[in-house]
Amino acid sequence: MRKSTAWFVFGAVTALLSVLFFWPLGTVISGGFWVNGKFTLRYLIGVFENPIYVEGLFNSLKIALGTTLLAMVVALPLAWIANQFEFRGKAAFSALVLVPMILPPFVGAIGFQQMFGAYGMINALFGLGARDWLGGGQYAGVVLLQTLSLYPILYLNAVAALANIDPAMEEAAANLGCTRLRRFFRITLPLMMPGLFAGGTLIFIWSFTELGTPLIMNYTRCASVQIYDSLKEIGSNPFPYALVTVMLAASVGLYAVSRRLFGGRAYAMQSKASTQSAVRTLSGWRGLLAALPFALVTGLALLPHLGVVLTSFAAPGSWYQSVLPQTFTGGNYIEALGHDMTVSSIRNSLLFSSLAVAFDIVVGIAIAFVVVRSKIRLRGVLDALSMIPLAVPGLVMAFGFLAVSSWLSNLKGFADADWWPRLVDVRTNPTLFLVLAYSVRRLPYMVRSAVAGLQQTSVTFEEAAWNLGASPAKTLRRITLPLIMANLIAGTLLTFAFSMLEVSDSLMLAQQADYMPITKAIFELFQLLGTGKYVAAALGVWAMAFLTATLVGSSLLLGKKLGAVFRV
Amino acid sequence: MPVPITIEKLTKRFGAKTVLRDIDVQIAAGEIFFLLGPSGCGKTTLLRAVAGLNDPDEGRILAGDRDVTHLPPHQRDMGMVFQSYALWPHMSLRENVAFGLEMRGIGKADIQARVMRALEMVRLADRADSKPNELSGGQQQRVALARALVIEPQCLLLDEPLSNLDAKLRLEMRTEIRRICKEAGLTAIYVTHDQKEALSIADRLAVLDQGRLLQIGSPQEVYTRPGSRFVAQFIGETTFVEGRVLGWRDGRAEIETAAGIWTAQTAGGLEAGETVWLSVRPEAVQLHTDRADGPNVFNAALHATIYLGEVAQHAVELGGDISLKALETRPRLVARDDARAETRLYVDPADVQVLKA
Repeated sequence: MRKSTAWFVFGAVTALLSVLFFWPLGTVISGGFWVNGKFTLRYLIGVFENPIYVEGLFNSLKIALGTTLLAMVVALPLAWIANQFEFRGKAAFSALVLVPMILPPFVGAIGFQQMFGAYGMINALFGLGARDWLGGGQYAGVVLLQTLSLYPILYLNAVAALANIDPAMEEAAANLGCTRLRRFFRITLPLMMPGLFAGGTLIFIWSFTELGTPLIMNYTRCASVQIYDSLKEIGSNPFPYALVTVMLAASVGLYAVSRRLFGGRAYAMQSKASTQSAVRTLSGWRGLLAALPFALVTGLALLPHLGVVLTSFAAPGSWYQSVLPQTFTGGNYIEALGHDMTVSSIRNSLLFSSLAVAFDIVVGIAIAFVVVRSKIRLRGVLDALSMIPLAVPGLVMAFGFLAVSSWLSNLKGFADADWWPRLVDVRTNPTLFLVLAYSVRRLPYMVRSAVAGLQQTSVTFEEAAWNLGASPAKTLRRITLPLIMANLIAGTLLTFAFSMLEVSDSLMLAQQADYMPITKAIFELFQLLGTGKYVAAALGVWAMAFLTATLVGSSLLLGKKLGAVFRV
Repeated sequence: MPVPITIEKLTKRFGAKTVLRDIDVQIAAGEIFFLLGPSGCGKTTLLRAVAGLNDPDEGRILAGDRDVTHLPPHQRDMGMVFQSYALWPHMSLRENVAFGLEMRGIGKADIQARVMRALEMVRLADRADSKPNELSGGQQQRVALARALVIEPQCLLLDEPLSNLDAKLRLEMRTEIRRICKEAGLTAIYVTHDQKEALSIADRLAVLDQGRLLQIGSPQEVYTRPGSRFVAQFIGETTFVEGRVLGWRDGRAEIETAAGIWTAQTAGGLEAGETVWLSVRPEAVQLHTDRADGPNVFNAALHATIYLGEVAQHAVELGGDISLKALETRPRLVARDDARAETRLYVDPADVQVLKA
């Protein structure tokens, strides 16, 4: 890649990301510190003096810690078993543990309440009376739900990290007399630390700022819900800005610390694995024993989905103090399809997500090319820059976009124009901001997929084409793109799936019924009295089916490398 | 059409490190020219500069009369065989070989015919529709060669093309590559670290070390008349003996060493008292000689032998703590472990190289 081209792409992308990323963030940060044209720490201090905000932050931290630790406990043994042993049904089981990713946890919460609530399935099944298994504060429920939907990210990271370790490392330890379990703690675990913490950090930040699940579970005393509740005052009250800034600082700080501690030290393997890993085949009861943890985790993780599916087929009001719904019906689906909001939400989600994906494909490939194929010094900066959206909570970004929109719609000289609010005011039409928010936050998946593709594709393939007379543009079209196509498709599917599933931006930015995406529609339907919950569940099942297809597709294309996508 | 390649004062730096310094080489049209040196010597960098895959900091590269120094690679018309072959895995052999012709806007029927001819030349016409990963290493190597040759390049560039092949195949391909290049009358630049490859295929070769060009010449010249200790020990085996010039007259020098006085035939002017190194190739050491006293006849002790069947390599101790390597065909004496065998040896003065310190 020519230097001038590389610099041009670098400049354009940096400028673009600055506008799409640093502007909203800057607006958030300045909103809490510059009030009426003056710098003040009053609101920042005020956040820490207000016992409600402090409790909210503390509870969010508790959720994040609980989720991350529990996810480690769940994912690590599974990854180790998958790496060390061969047993019947392993392929199926290791695919099944990824299934929870097909549903945003807040939708699962609807089903979960039906099963574990005071009047739910479990109590009816065992005749336990009206006991709420999710605990009074709903804390356990939130952590469990988030763990069950986020542990696959850690599992994928751990499997990728394990696959990356030259089996000779372990064989050398075994040769010196180290047992299998001790080998794991002395050799394998230290070597896989970077990958593990990459995934762990991601889970921590996501659960720290998760909005949908606490909302549905009615766990209102956490920072994310407090921020959501204060959106109405976004033009007048600096406190939410200060609160968001605190969350941002905590997330970025954690990201920076963990990257410094664990990310920069990825151990380079001296050789590509020369032998297949010393996989031991387990048969008979040993094989069953190895499969058991997978079955358990998958079963548990699928409970919310099962609850959602059952709810979607239950006649409204018929699943109450009973093991299963007493009357099954397809009516919820018919009602869901007939509802104005549903139909337009599917259309909206498809439109927003497609636009976001198109944006990400172009920008992502350009970034990946500069990062992998150019030699300009700042390419590392570009790489880091394109990854930051992973470290910044969606909630913070959404809040920032909202603030930018609110500022833009009052811009002098434009505010009176007829077309202006339709473009920039989310209260009139959130399309622009939703698409931008979706694409910026999903850009890392695209960049990672494309980077992985380019790294696996030796540059000599391109050199050979130039050597035979192909221009750079022709080489890109005939050689490079076909060779990395699998990665591009996988990146596209992931970007698309996660845009369809997006919660924070959708809940906060889409305020007009006509422009609501699916997730927001599910949330709105859920709040309707009477049939709302059941119709919401039906829409949730539709989303699940759709996302299953896309994720299965991308994991088939990427194989073990799927894990590398979820890495900061 | 093959053209001569001229490289003038070429310098290339990577950051603060200079990987090529002032390289001057002239390669005649139709010549097979080798760049030889240890890894990291800059030979691949030089080849890639000729291909246009890196941009030299100073100097010029001429293909014929055309200055191609800063021309993008796709406008140079130099077919290259990559070390990894770089066959595109998503294309069949036919498509791989046809690619360069397509880029030249050649008609479909013509392409078809030329591709098949190229594949026949490397004896792979029957596999035209296979994908590269269905082929063995040697077959892939031949496809890479066909792909580079089919465009009838001005110059063929080969970057360690045989390094991924097993020993037997490497031997076969040596003659094969030389045959193909000569039949097509190509100018070829060939990079390798394998001296046997260079000696057996090259018309001329250049030895590089640490970015500098040390010596250019025909294989025989470079082997028998190395210009420096580095070249002497990089190409072939040798033993160095340090000495001091006693006198030099009519191309014959007397040199005093710890093992006695040596006589060497050398054209270079030497001054009495100068410190020099003698380079003695193992095959030049004649063991069990019947010669009486005379120049370069020494009493010696064999004290370790590597027995290889048709030959044996001995370590031979002279006086003064000096040990030579000596090659013996049809070995008679084998000294194992601590056993020592006394013998007499002779080295022809024409086989002793005098190298300036």
